[in-house]
This record gives sequence, C-alpha cells and structure tokens, in this order.
Amino acid sequence: MTAPPVHLARLESEVPAAPDASLKLLPRNPQDVASILRYASEKRMNVQVWGGGTRSGYGAPPDPDIVMSMQDLGKVEKWEPDDLTLVVGAGASVEEVELMLSEGNQTAVLPEVPGASTIGGVIATGASGFRRTRLYGTRERILEATVVTGDGRIVRGGGRVVKNVTGYDLPRLMVGAFGSLGVLVSVCLKLWPAPPHRATVTVATADDAQRVVRPLAVLEDRESIRVFVWGTPAEVAAKAAKLDGEVDEGHLWPSDPEGAFGWSLRVPPALTKEAVGRLPDGWDFVALHGVGELRAASGDLDGAWDIREWIESVGGHLVVTQAPADGLDGFDPWGAPPSALDVQRRLIAEFDPARVINPGRLPGGL
Amino acid sequence: MGYVDDLRQALGDDNVLEEPIELHIYSKDASLMRGHANAVVFPKNADDVARIVRIAEANKVPIVARGAGTGLAAGASPTEGGIVVVTTAMNSMEIDVENRTAWVGAGVINLDLSDAASPYGLQFAPDPSSQSACTIGGNVANNSGGPHCLSEGSTTSHVLGLEVVLAGGDVVILGGQAPDPPGLDLKGLIVGSEGTMGIVTRALVRLIPLDPDVRTMLIGFSSVEGAAAAVSQVIAAGMVPAALELMDQRMVEAVENWLHAGLPTDAAAVLLAEVVGETEGVEAEAELITEIAVSNGATSVEVAETQEHRALLWKGRKSAFGAIAQLAPDYYLHDAVVPRTKLVETMKAVYEIADRYDLTMLNVFHAGDGNLHPLIAFDASEPDINKKVHDAGDEIVAICLKNGGALSGEHGIGLEKRDMMRANFTELDLDAQARLKEAVDPEGVFNPNKILPAGSRCFDFGGVRRQELPEGVWV
Repeated sequence: MTAPPVHLARLESEVPAAPDASLKLLPRNPQDVASILRYASEKRMNVQVWGGGTRSGYGAPPDPDIVMSMQDLGKVEKWEPDDLTLVVGAGASVEEVELMLSEGNQTAVLPEVPGASTIGGVIATGASGFRRTRLYGTRERILEATVVTGDGRIVRGGGRVVKNVTGYDLPRLMVGAFGSLGVLVSVCLKLWPAPPHRATVTVATADDAQRVVRPLAVLEDRESIRVFVWGTPAEVAAKAAKLDGEVDEGHLWPSDPEGAFGWSLRVPPALTKEAVGRLPDGWDFVALHGVGELRAASGDLDGAWDIREWIESVGGHLVVTQAPADGLDGFDPWGAPPSALDVQRRLIAEFDPARVINPGRLPGGL
Repeated sequence: MGYVDDLRQALGDDNVLEEPIELHIYSKDASLMRGHANAVVFPKNADDVARIVRIAEANKVPIVARGAGTGLAAGASPTEGGIVVVTTAMNSMEIDVENRTAWVGAGVINLDLSDAASPYGLQFAPDPSSQSACTIGGNVANNSGGPHCLSEGSTTSHVLGLEVVLAGGDVVILGGQAPDPPGLDLKGLIVGSEGTMGIVTRALVRLIPLDPDVRTMLIGFSSVEGAAAAVSQVIAAGMVPAALELMDQRMVEAVENWLHAGLPTDAAAVLLAEVVGETEGVEAEAELITEIAVSNGATSVEVAETQEHRALLWKGRKSAFGAIAQLAPDYYLHDAVVPRTKLVETMKAVYEIADRYDLTMLNVFHAGDGNLHPLIAFDASEPDINKKVHDAGDEIVAICLKNGGALSGEHGIGLEKRDMMRANFTELDLDAQARLKEAVDPEGVFNPNKILPAGSRCFDFGGVRRQELPEGVWV
C-alpha cells in the first residue's frame, strides 16, 4: 500500500472482496469521485470502480492502482411512483432497490437474481433482466445519468422525465461502457408497474410459448422450459390456460449458471433454439427465447472456439463473463472487435484523456 | 460552383438539383426557419452518400440530411448553406419475420413500414402523428415518439442497428440482430443526434407483434385538471396504456368542425385512451380507466366498437394540427415535457401565460408521458405578434423546466431550441455534449450549429486547440 495524498486520506478504506490495489478509496459524494479521478489522471494511475463485484470477470483482467468502491453513493434520492421514475445513487444494491419498489408494485426491470449487484454495475456492464423479453433491456430504463468523467468533470445528461430528446443521449452511452467514459454516480430510471398476480408455466417446447402474446420471459435450461406471465388475475388465468402446462404461482427465476468459466452468448433471436443445440457438452445454461441471449457456464474452455466461430458467423457475440486467472489461453474475452473503433477511441479520449478508468477492458483493447 | 459539378459526376445529373426554385423548396423543414441550400442531392445508397461526404469535406461545405421535411425544430433547415442530402430514394425494405426485425432504407415512410409488416402480424411501434409522411431516417435522427411510445418507448428502443456514413465517408454498420453488441453504443448515440454525427442510410429496426385486442376510449371531462388528474391516477393504478392523449376544448372544437367525428365539443377536455393486449387484460383495464375517469369528473365515455370507429377517433387526434388552419394562418407548436405528476399545475400555468399575452392557445398532447404540445395559433401579418408568440413560448418552456421538465420530448432541439439549451444544462454538461459531437464528427461537416449553442465547448478560447495544450494540463 502506498500512502494516499493528504486530500484523499480521509477516503481510505477496506473494500471487501475487491482485488489488490495500492489504494482503496471510498468516496462519499460525486465531488470525492472527481477528486480521486483527477488525482489518478495526474499520476496516471489505473482505477477500478467497484460495485458488488458480481460482474468483475468481464473483459481483460484489470490491474488497478486504485480501487474505488461506490458503496457510499447508493442513496435512493427520489422515488416518484406516479411518475414511474426513481433517482438513485449508482452504488445502491439492486436487490434492495427492487425490494423497495415491489412494495409499491413497481419494478426497475433489473436482473431478477441480482446477488450483490449494484445499479451502477448493472448499467456499466449492460446487464439486463429476464423480463427484457417483454419490457426491453436496461438500456431502455435509463433516463438521466450523472457521470464523473475520467478527468474529473461532473456532467449530467438526459432528464427526469420518461420521454426526452433534449441533447445527445449520454445516459444510453453509459450502458455497457464499463466506465470507459466516466463513473456513474447517479441515475434516473424509468420504472414499470409490477402486478402482484404472477405465474410460471412449464411447457414442452419453446414454440408452445407462442400461444400467448408477448409473455414476460420464456426461459429454457437443462431441466425445463418455462413461460413467465403477470397481470390481472383474469389475464394470468387466461394465459396459463392457453399455455396448457404445469402452473406455479409466482415467478420462479433461475439463478445464473455457475462454473469456472462464465459466458454470455448473443445471437439473433430466432437462433436461440439452435444456439442451445450447439452448446458444448457440459455447458450449463439459461436461454432467453425471443431475445437471443444465453447465459452459460462451463468447467473448461473445451468447445468455446467452435461455438464462437458459429456465433460470429451469424452476426452474434460470445463474451466471457468469468474466467480463472490466466485461464483464457489466448481466447479473446470479447471476440471480433466492433466496428468504428476509431470513433470509440476518440470518444473515450474526450472523456478520459489519461485513460485511467478500466483501461484496456473494452473490446478492441480500448 | 465546382463541387456541384463533382456531385453531378458522382450521382448523375438527375440526382442533383440547383435551380433557385428547387433550392428554395429544400431550404426549410416544417418549422418556421428557412436556410439556404447550395445543392440538393438524392443518393440511392450508402456508397452515394459516402461520395457526397467526401466531396463536402474536400470543399469544406456542410451537409444537412433531410427525409420528408416534417421536422418541427429546423433540424433539417440548411442554415449554414451547403448540400441538402434527401434520403427518399433510399427506400429498400427487408422484413425478417422470424427475428421480428427489418432493414429499412432511411427514406422509407414510417407508415409504409408498419403496413408492410402487418401481413406478418407485426408492426413498428413508433408512430409520430406525421407517420403517413415522415421517414424512418427522420425518426432515427429525432428519436421520434408518438402516442404509442408511452408503453413501447421512443424510436431508440426500436433501433437495433444502423448503416451510417461517418466523417471521411466511412460506411459502418453499428449493432445488429443479436442483443447487447460489445463496445460503446454508438448506435444509441447517433439515434436522436439530428443528423449532426453522420448520415444514416439504413436502419435495422425491431418489429413487435400486432395487438390481439384493443379498446380505444374517448372520455370527455368537465375540466382539464380532472382529465390530467385521471391520467396520473391511471398510471398510479399500475397500468401503462398503449396511449393516453389529451385535447382541450378549443382543440376538440377545431377538429370536430373539420372532421365531424361526433367529438364531445361541450367537454372541457377529451382524453383518448387505448389499451392493448389479450382480451381478458384489456377489458379489465378499460373498466378501471372508466372508473378512474368518472371519479375525476368524466362527463362521457365512448368506446370504439369497430376498427373504423377506432380509426376515426385516432384521425381526430393525429390530424389535430391540420385542423388549426381554420383558426389562424400560422401556428407555433411547443414540445416541452414535464414529470406526469406536474401536469395539472403546468397546464394551469400554461393557460395563464396564454391569457396574459392574449393569445389563442390550443392543447393536444401525450398526457401519459407528460409531453405537452401547447399550440399558439396566430396571424403572422398582425403587428408585433411574432415577439408576443416568442415571449409567451419562452415563458412556457421556463415553467416546464422549473417543474422539473425538459426542452423537448420528441421534436428535437434543432436550431429552434438550440439557444435554450443553457436553461436545461450547465456549461459542463454542454461541454460534454460538444465533446461527443467533436469525437464523432471532428471537422463539423454534418448539420453544423444544430442542437448545441455556439461556444458549448467550455475551453475553446482564442483559437488554441485543446491538442496544443501541454500534456498534463487539466482543463
């Protein structure tokens, strides 16, 4: 451990579960985040932003000089149930926020089995819930973002209204950006009603799900294919009857598969079934029919090259979400680099000129 | 001019216009602000556009993209001169039924896409009131909304990929059918950027299933406040109807005079509510909406019994602006947005402003999203009227911002609201936006001087380019 500069000493703290770093800092407000990032930019120190640590396995392994925990920036600032909006700090626990919202029969449609995930972590990694099948992904929930850029400027984009075209869409650009442009400190999210009447219906094939229009989710794993519905009691009963399967009350969400290697498969929606069929032996999975997303896990890398080749040939992506240290054996965590890398590079240079937040973690080595 | 010859050579004589009358036609969109075009071109594909971009860059002239010209914020007005690129000849359409997507040319008309998709049981969700004229490219540029974006979101939620010509004439494909493409979401940045970052030539859009059942209701209220309160309570009751549209009495009268749809002209406000889904759900929701409406002073409830009936009710809403012509030759339409819970107090203030300025104001708006469209009808030949309309407009926008709202819900900033951006954002916020623009379009060739007010880059002093600052200087 090196000694922090005097003005940051008061922020020094243990950050449970975080990787080793010379400095572990706990900012208490956006100004603290800005001070830390300015210091890091000046000293050319790499910063890893730490939420709940649940998605720390994406991309090239970071080698941080500074770990910055967002846990003290997790206050619920304003929940306006009648506006269907929530303003919340990036460090807030997804589980706690969704629990609070559920008391008002609302949801932010964030991942249903969040573990220790934080709001900021889910947005920065572009993770979505299963209900994206009907209600769209996390990208469509973010209305306003307050961001501290890599060089320590506090900027806001979007607004606290559900529909807005005032200026460039900075909030959406933060989704899946892995902090490369800046650190999210707070967001306004668009909420959705969450009717208490729910059912999970087990069906024989994914095609059976098409007997109802636009279900919340159609999930397949090694055990079953399940359709998730909600609504008024009459609506839920009618949908369950049409699906003609075994009905469980409530939503029985599967946990993400676990293994030494974690995978996110992304294919055109109509190829979900084929992707399931092509999974290497021994890969555990949850497939989101109608979306084209599969979450998978395996004990080793066997078969990964082959399935990536097929996925990329159909315009998709195989992304590594978790891997043992030095376990990738030359397997790129992202696969083929995205287009317009030069533009992405220029954008990052405008926001994080010294390139201190998660450098090299994005695809294409950005 | 030399570059016009280059354009003729690149695109063929038939695809380049430069007669004064032709240039005049393309010198403005549906807003009140006219610019001046030096040439108007009709590319057929991305390669044509790439050639145009290279010619423009070589000659340092700006490029302004234009679809059908229905924009209301002067986003497609060539205020700095240069080349107007009309996208209407790029009108290919490939529907992928299995994946529920379509690759469509920027020039395809919004309604033509939904019409082409409907035989497959699919539709394109964004439905601006101008949908029978406006293009997909324009929808992408403005992140257009429409009544049904209440439940499905604006255009950006329905664009999965873009073919776009960037600075240097680079043609790139961003995004695709597979979800969550890794890397920065450039596609999301370009949607809503009003042609200031590049020219979209094709878009990969999401199609959603047609609704199995629908209930469309027209509800008359004894007060505007009662109608607005009902809207808030419907949302609070856990419903997100497909649409919740409000018209005030003046607007209803204007529409009824023209359409003769049997609208309740005695009501102070009329709410058009639509719920979609499976029969069991829509019946329950329609009943609940009726109950809420009655408890807020509803005086009449009309439920569309047939598809024709529903179409007539919607025609009344979507043609509202056309009906204004009976009242006055000119109108000025606003597009501010406020949190839903501030609708009632905002509306009160808006009427008070109109009365104080003695202006004829009509209101028709997307109440469910809090997106107001106060419309001031006037006769521009009246002395001093323009200043009055402008001042009242500024006050309306100021009230919306004060109530926690934003400048534009769906029309965009363009040139019209550019100079109001400072009321919505701080200098640092605008600087960040200017950096976004500069990173994507370093030479500023695409639709210059739109969206951001002059001097948005905080540190553009005295011709010193940022790159020339010594390393380590933090600005």
